[in-house]
Amino acid sequence: MARIPLGCEAVAGSLTPSKKRDYRVTNRLQEGKRPIYAVVFNFIDSRYFNAFATAGGNRVTVYQCLEGGVIAVLQSYIDEDKDESFYTVSWACNIDGTPFLVAGGLNGIIRVIDTGNEKIYKSLVGHGDSINEIRTQPLKPSLVVSASKDESVRLWNIHTGICILIFAGAGGHRNEVLSVDFHPSDIYRIASCGMDNTVKIWSMKEFWTYVEKSFTWTDLPSKFPTKYVQFPVFIASVHTNYVDCNRWIGDFMLSKSVDNELVLWEPKMKEQSPGEGTVDILQKYPVPECDIWFIKFSCDFHYKAAAVGNREGKIYVWEVQSNPPVLIARLTHAQSKSSIRLTAMSFDGSTILSCCEDGTIWRWDVVASS
Amino acid sequence: MSAPKPSPSASGSDLHIADHQENGSSELEIISVIESLKEKVASDRCAYIKKRIEENAEKVLDVTKNLYKLSMERRNFKIICGDGGVDLLAKRQKDAIDMHNGIGTSNGDNESSSSQEDGYASSAILLGSSIAVKSAVRPINLPEVKKLPPYTTWIFLDRNQRMTEDQSVVGRRRIYYDQNGGEALICSDSEEEAVDDEEEKKEFVESEDYILRMTIKQMGFSDTTLDVLGQCLSRRSGELKARFEDHIKNNTTTSRVNNGNAEGFVNPYIDKDLDAALDSFDNLFCRRCLVFDCRLHGCSQDLSFPVDKQLQWNFPDVDKEPCGPGCHRLVLESEGLSFRQASLEEKAAPASNTASMQIQKRKQGGTPLKKKTKSCQSESASSSEVKPTNDIPMSVKSAGKSGIDKRSSKRIAENVLVAKKKRQKKMVTSDSDRRESEDNSNPPNVKCTSSRKSRRKESPLLDSDKSLQDEAASGASNESESNQPVTSSGETLKKEEFIDENMHNQDLVESKSWKPFEKALYEKGIQIFGRNSCLIARNLMSGLKSCSEIFKYMHRSENRIFSRDGDGMVLSDGCLKADGNETVGGGARRRSRFLRRKGRVRRLKYTWKSAGYQSFRKRISERKDQPCRQYSPCGCQTACGKTCPCLVNGTCCEKYCGCPKSCKNRFRGCHCAKSQCRSRQCPCFAADRECDPDVCRNCWISCGDGTLGIPPQRGDNYECRNMKLLLKQQQRVLLGRSDVSGWGAFLKNSVSKHEYLGEYTGELISHREADKRGKIYDRENSSFLFNLNDQFVLDAYRKGDKLKFANHSPDPNCYAKVIMVAGDHRVGIFAKERISAGEEIFYDYRYEADRAPAWAKKPEASGSKREDCGPSSGRAKKHT
Repeated sequence: MARIPLGCEAVAGSLTPSKKRDYRVTNRLQEGKRPIYAVVFNFIDSRYFNAFATAGGNRVTVYQCLEGGVIAVLQSYIDEDKDESFYTVSWACNIDGTPFLVAGGLNGIIRVIDTGNEKIYKSLVGHGDSINEIRTQPLKPSLVVSASKDESVRLWNIHTGICILIFAGAGGHRNEVLSVDFHPSDIYRIASCGMDNTVKIWSMKEFWTYVEKSFTWTDLPSKFPTKYVQFPVFIASVHTNYVDCNRWIGDFMLSKSVDNELVLWEPKMKEQSPGEGTVDILQKYPVPECDIWFIKFSCDFHYKAAAVGNREGKIYVWEVQSNPPVLIARLTHAQSKSSIRLTAMSFDGSTILSCCEDGTIWRWDVVASS
Repeated sequence: MSAPKPSPSASGSDLHIADHQENGSSELEIISVIESLKEKVASDRCAYIKKRIEENAEKVLDVTKNLYKLSMERRNFKIICGDGGVDLLAKRQKDAIDMHNGIGTSNGDNESSSSQEDGYASSAILLGSSIAVKSAVRPINLPEVKKLPPYTTWIFLDRNQRMTEDQSVVGRRRIYYDQNGGEALICSDSEEEAVDDEEEKKEFVESEDYILRMTIKQMGFSDTTLDVLGQCLSRRSGELKARFEDHIKNNTTTSRVNNGNAEGFVNPYIDKDLDAALDSFDNLFCRRCLVFDCRLHGCSQDLSFPVDKQLQWNFPDVDKEPCGPGCHRLVLESEGLSFRQASLEEKAAPASNTASMQIQKRKQGGTPLKKKTKSCQSESASSSEVKPTNDIPMSVKSAGKSGIDKRSSKRIAENVLVAKKKRQKKMVTSDSDRRESEDNSNPPNVKCTSSRKSRRKESPLLDSDKSLQDEAASGASNESESNQPVTSSGETLKKEEFIDENMHNQDLVESKSWKPFEKALYEKGIQIFGRNSCLIARNLMSGLKSCSEIFKYMHRSENRIFSRDGDGMVLSDGCLKADGNETVGGGARRRSRFLRRKGRVRRLKYTWKSAGYQSFRKRISERKDQPCRQYSPCGCQTACGKTCPCLVNGTCCEKYCGCPKSCKNRFRGCHCAKSQCRSRQCPCFAADRECDPDVCRNCWISCGDGTLGIPPQRGDNYECRNMKLLLKQQQRVLLGRSDVSGWGAFLKNSVSKHEYLGEYTGELISHREADKRGKIYDRENSSFLFNLNDQFVLDAYRKGDKLKFANHSPDPNCYAKVIMVAGDHRVGIFAKERISAGEEIFYDYRYEADRAPAWAKKPEASGSKREDCGPSSGRAKKHT
């Protein structure tokens, strides 16, 4: 680790739970024997705020959270290729508002599932290797980005099935891309991170015409003039090991590596020189026993809290935007011992779901404080 | 800073005094001061973070509010647009909720009936509820889609590209995970290497400066203070001392500068001129590829000026017609000046050109003070008559961006800075002809350096711009005539005087209206076109100045040269100083631009521990040595001798070398005609070179369908067939799923034997870099490295073309060949036999036998397998 200069120290949170909120396990599902890598609530359409999807093995499943800890299975999709292993799933929607699920994994094929009609809508082929994460543009939810082992990040229009942009090349990632995220308000901006230990911020401003063009494209998707974005606007070396998850918190970035902590930092770009800039590490959120990669965190709708599991099946819920950081709760259960790959916080953070290496899904609900 | 500041020069003695004074203050005291400062810094930092986080939180709130609004709208949107179709997700959801709510009241009939109604699969299952589950969710199958063979996203290159430094993997840490879950560190040779990296970043941050300053302010400047500070800040006290002195220096200079030459610092870009433009030209323009920002040969190449290729500007018949409405002829006529005079001058100009050049040249050879930086390179681009002399060494590092005399002095400070940085000789633009008349008559003043007076005499070398300014400033009257030597062209001068008188009144105004950039352009124009204001106006300054303005300026500046007086000189020196200061900033700015271009480069340490590792690389021949040597143009100005870099390196001299065409080491090209350079009878072909129409006698090729005209027919009308790489006459290659393994390259059309198929392009990397990268690639069992020559390896991993997907075969239908094309080695893929349309392309990778991967070792194996395409067994997560 680089020596942190005086006056640039980050504020680290204390691991003493504040007991602000307390969570209790209310349900536990066993989906199968294969690990479940993704669980995600629908934040795109308010009708489905309580619906969530999971991805693991060759299966994508849709559930509904009901009162009293009850979980209802709504839909289940199975890839005919038994070897497929879905690593990621994201909610999206078609331009007419039909709820979609976009999933990807080992095979590198992006599956766009029309949950409104319970059928496959499109399969997007193009990535040269497995897909590690898919995220949806909240302002235009028929745009998704995918992060892949083939060292590229790609922007897709799921409505037309077009690969609009490929973020790779001279300034691109030098190893697998593990995570990617849309900026919540700047529609041109995405951030990606991966096994080359860097976080890269990309702008598609100059290529926006292609994004617009993709909505009206009527020819074959393969004929679309897909563009390469070769140079990111910012490259941050915040971590010294794989960076497996990054999320925008406003203009700040919350990212994690395998160093048992989440890091909140501010990218300070130099206007004159793209690609350069400095990083100001503001806060750190310790997460013990979180030293393996592909453990991702999630936030509630308003980015008030972030929940991250660890390799021992415990979940740490941090208040993200308080100074100093406050540990809201530490969730433990005697039987939850398997690595938690991803958590999902519900709209208001009152429900936390975790999906585990052993194929289980846990539901935690906040306990009404007395 | 209110603390007593030792001046930079006297700081040593001050230190001693301080030492005595401050011995009293104990270490503890100092420590407490430092600690309190540290606390202050820390609390400031906390406050800052708090503030930033709060600001951001507000923003996030706005953003999420908006997103929430959008998600609410989507709910309504659907209702409006839902054209009769059933949203099954919503339906399932409703069913589940109903079922859940119905636990107490109904028995589940509702659900079953509703699911029968719509004819879809059964509804949701409740998990974790006490209600008995009767039905199951029917899984929906996602039909299988054949996945692509694995590949890494790559960028298409139509020509090779030199690796940029930030692409290097040397010294970088790359963590590699094994499929079995273990992780390995490769790429960096040793642990220290990574550590070294970090330790270099010990720059002083603001807070440290603050503590340093404040502590010294409170406790005084003493060794004890420094020692304690050093302990607290974990730095050496010497380091701190230097830093502190730097500070003081900076402070004083800044304040001095602010008081003094404020204007110059307000806008350092004000002298943005032709030199800056030419600088980027010289730096970024590749004279081999004739493009800017050449990715193959890089920027800041060594420039070699060919001795015998310079074209002399041929004056077209000076048209007697006015060149336009603003032509000086019209203006002169209207002013009652003789038309004849102008044309007379124009005729005189080219005649005296030669002589003046030579004189000028000698003058530049003699080193006036101001010219020190650029004294050596006196070769002038436009003076073809100038004979090369010994004082033009190859190694001259760009002494002069001097370019045009005019601005040279302005830029000297910058030159000194830049000269260190740039490995480049600058084109010395010769002085303009405007001085020819007195140059002819004045004995060239070679050795004038020290005294002002002598400098004054040789002042053709001085800035005319300067003297112009001087005059404008001092308002000195034009007494130049007294100085004026008797010239051969006395008549002309008289006329000039006349003009001068006419125009002198406007001088002050007009000379100011000429921006430095325009003046520089004018100088260039004089070099190129001579004293032909029509041509200058038309070709260089259209939109800036009219012909007549240029004409006037031309005459004015001539008169300036004769009119020098001492006052002017002194003033000009003053200007020089100020300008020098100014340009320091400019220089730094420009250099930083070049640094930026190269990207962030960490200093890398390389140990030879792992250098023994040799990765799998494709090769042309089985031989172990490197048959090809990288060519780089020599700068020999005479026929190459034993010291010629080309000769030493064992390469031929090429057309890009500086040496004359008669050089013995030159490759002479061929004289083929009928054979069309397709066999080893052609010397080019035999030497694995492509023909070059610049070099070979008969090689030509027609282009287009002839509608654009036919080139002069040479070689008995036989076109050369040995220029296919140069002309990119390649076959259409298709990328597809290989019949053998992974991806494969296929031919769209059938080709005959020895047909050129295409080029194997990629990044040009050093052998050392290739060893490093090879380690990564070999792990992935997929290598795109190709040995090119003794310096470079081609890597097509991230950048290349479709031929990189051509597979290996011990019994191939193609072969690869390294060919010299216009001084560069390139890899061409050729058909070994007739290949029909749609066939897959194979060639022998020629891996070294002892290092070949398993699949390339066994020629009897059913097929060649280059890439490991077996599905990686499960996800190689890092496990506990």
